[in-house]
Amino acid sequence: MYTLLSGLYKYMFQKDEYCILILGLDNAGKTTFLEQSKTRFNKNYKGMSLSKITTTVGLNIGTVDVGKARLMFWDLGGQEELQSLWDKYYAECHGVIYVIDSTDEERLVESKQAFGVPAGDMLEALCGVPVLVLANKQDVETCLSIPDIKTAFSDCTCKIGRRDCLTQACSALTGKGVREGIEWMVKCVVRNVHRPPRQRDIT
Amino acid sequence: MGGFFSSIFSSLFGTREMRILILGLDGAGKTTILYRLQVGEVVTTIPTIGFNVETVTYKNLKFQVWDLGGQTSIRPYWRCYYSNTDAVIYVVDSCDRDRIGISKSELVAMLEEEELRKAILVVFANKQDMEQAMTPSEMANSLGLPALKDRKWQIFKTSATKGTGLDEAMEWQVSCFQFSVHLCVFMAVDTHMS
Repeated sequence: MYTLLSGLYKYMFQKDEYCILILGLDNAGKTTFLEQSKTRFNKNYKGMSLSKITTTVGLNIGTVDVGKARLMFWDLGGQEELQSLWDKYYAECHGVIYVIDSTDEERLVESKQAFGVPAGDMLEALCGVPVLVLANKQDVETCLSIPDIKTAFSDCTCKIGRRDCLTQACSALTGKGVREGIEWMVKCVVRNVHRPPRQRDIT
Repeated sequence: MGGFFSSIFSSLFGTREMRILILGLDGAGKTTILYRLQVGEVVTTIPTIGFNVETVTYKNLKFQVWDLGGQTSIRPYWRCYYSNTDAVIYVVDSCDRDRIGISKSELVAMLEEEELRKAILVVFANKQDMEQAMTPSEMANSLGLPALKDRKWQIFKTSATKGTGLDEAMEWQVSCFQFSVHLCVFMAVDTHMS
């Protein structure tokens, strides 16, 4: 009887909360992606105008409810100097989104090196965590395609190991691909038994 | 009905004042920042015993900015000012490596307060004009900011005497608040409909 009641309480008033880390170089579009997802998934949410977003030197937070799951995003600053802060969040996160600027061919190598920061910890601190790679800014005509980016990142694949991993084309500005990416992420974090969610009261 | 419209009107045209606290250890430059924001000039300051409060208008938004004294003996009184605070500007002297630990413990104690649960945190790494100034990532690590998992925070490199970084910081806060103003309108409309 107690189990039934506590189960009912959980069903009514609690949600499974998953923490998702958004990483990538500066100016890749991480904050824009976060604002866009908040706008898409939260009814009645009128986000800050996407053109007004400036460089993040710190942390932006966003929560998005998808079905029974609640995603809590941690959007970190991407400047080289701030990349040393990324690993502080690995232990508690359930998923990683890595954002790449597909229009910036020159910095692709730099982006690959920055990807090496979390990729180096893939086996330990980030063991089994799903990784979503977003090829952002696909609304720009001259951007690199998904195969181009996959080729450029090919030597990172061995570090990824056994986990769910998807490369998704998206445009944070127009919202193309954002919903698909997040729905994929939800599916993966829910079925990942190695990192159980946190229970949070719905307030 | 009239009250309803006036509440929409006031939230749309930015007459709602945002309440900001400027906190930090003594000698960090809080008062200099406050007056730099308000009159745009460097004023000669003496250590604040008590508080200074000014209204700062920036981009059609009014900020009620409280600068509280930072000396050890008067830090316990900070908490009297916490309620209804929208943002905390935490000023840190970037050259004062000796006292960064104290700065951290004061910050941690402050952020545990329930009344500040919804406030955003803006860290001013002040005195960046000095040579041995700490970088933002150094500052974030020494203040233990990565441990904050459910609060929006941002660091700005500032120099109150030179006036650098303050505009960017205010701009950023305006963009954060303008969105919350929109949200207020939404909620007002919603409650009316239902």
